[in-house]
Amino acid sequence: MSNLALGCTLIFVAVTIVASMWQKLGLEKEVIIGTIRSAVQLLLVGYVLQFVFNTENKAWLVLIICLMLTVASWNAGQRGRGLRGIRWRIAAALTVTEVLTMGLLLGLSIIEPTPQYIIPMSGITIGSAMVVAGLFVNNMKREVQASGGEIEALLALGASTRQAIHTSLKRSVRSSMIPTIDGMKTVGLVQLPGMMTGMIVAGANPVEAVRYQVLIMFALVSSAALTSILLSLLSHRLWFTEDDRLRSIS
Amino acid sequence: MAGAPILEIAALGKILTGPQGEKRELFRNVSVQINTTAVVVLLGASGQGKSTLLRILGRLDRADEGTVRFYGRAAEETLPQEWRKKIAYVAQFAVMLDGTVEDNLRAVSVLHRKPFDSALARELMMKAGLGAMEWSKRAAELSGGEKQRVALIRSLLLEPELLLLDEITASLDTHSKQAVEQLLLDWHKTHGTLMLWVTHDLEQAKLISDDVWYMDEHTLLEASPSSRFFTRPDTRQARRFLQISDETEV
Repeated sequence: MSNLALGCTLIFVAVTIVASMWQKLGLEKEVIIGTIRSAVQLLLVGYVLQFVFNTENKAWLVLIICLMLTVASWNAGQRGRGLRGIRWRIAAALTVTEVLTMGLLLGLSIIEPTPQYIIPMSGITIGSAMVVAGLFVNNMKREVQASGGEIEALLALGASTRQAIHTSLKRSVRSSMIPTIDGMKTVGLVQLPGMMTGMIVAGANPVEAVRYQVLIMFALVSSAALTSILLSLLSHRLWFTEDDRLRSIS
Repeated sequence: MAGAPILEIAALGKILTGPQGEKRELFRNVSVQINTTAVVVLLGASGQGKSTLLRILGRLDRADEGTVRFYGRAAEETLPQEWRKKIAYVAQFAVMLDGTVEDNLRAVSVLHRKPFDSALARELMMKAGLGAMEWSKRAAELSGGEKQRVALIRSLLLEPELLLLDEITASLDTHSKQAVEQLLLDWHKTHGTLMLWVTHDLEQAKLISDDVWYMDEHTLLEASPSSRFFTRPDTRQARRFLQISDETEV
């Protein structure tokens, strides 16, 4: 894409600003900030990736993945305000998911062990796992509020905390995975994924692009399952006090 | 511990915190003990903290001060799960567990991996006026009164040593209420279970109780045998509650 063509894409931003002014939405400032941030962030990432792809030092690769994990854990942890210790549990779930997913992809030689493959695949895996973790925490908050009576009824029957919250955890795992599974069912019919579209636009063979997209979809569904199940295992005590009473979380 | 009271409550207090952080004393300095496996009725006007006291005894809520001992063992010295296996709380508003009536009746045997006593469950259902109920029916579809009785039977199948009953007949019709009273009196006779029963129904209290605890002015004012409480209560507050004039001696 030429610089002129890239510059012309600002017309879409202009359309948004004009629409906002016309309808008095008051979004002009937000749109301008968003435009500048996305352009700067993406350009920076482009240069960082270019550097990492050309360097022999693997520590940069590890550093970038650690950074991705940190930002993703912090962001998903925002959903769990009031739950002390949720952030490091999310970080642990995302890290295990990333390590297992990459371990399988590299161990089975599905992708090449180069930054060009590892970084984009890690980004997609961690990004998706972050969304799943956020959904899981949100769903659990709703579950504990809606099913508090059921959880207490089980505690009153002498159930352990794990037994008492098992159904709520199961429901939350299921509902946090549904968007990923729905995405698998409708991919190609409703939406063309960004990576596949990007490859095709960049001149890759569409069938080759589809093969990578299939790989991504399958990896995403397993990472969604891994993240939500790991998080349910790691976080179940957070919903209870030290003396096994159901904690009230706003 | 040999010679210790069955249940001993010492200087128990509970402070409620409002939405703006304001503190309000619900009750203070509640001290009482039970030495025999009696049926004890807990009386008092609404807002005195009777239900909260029951929930604290069942370790579903926490006291702000004081101690509770069961057979000489302090609550803090016992694992909450072990405590709740011996001391079962039945809530005023019954909550059904996910699944069928049978799933609810089997809950205790599933939770504690012990054989399900189908004959006992059937007998209790019969006595509670639910003999004709299909066990395959979804528990969520039961009426309020049916749920209340199934929840009670579910707790009885735990065979607790102390049963905490929180206005469990408030939503029942006269016939069902009488059936539940008889069921519990029979259970008490055959199993010797200590019962602490909150009710606002004075006729019911007279019928079922061996002893009465009376709460007023945010503390426990009286603990006396039922025959004495209903004829010659010690305190002016109890006489007013029972609408007995100060001069009356029955």
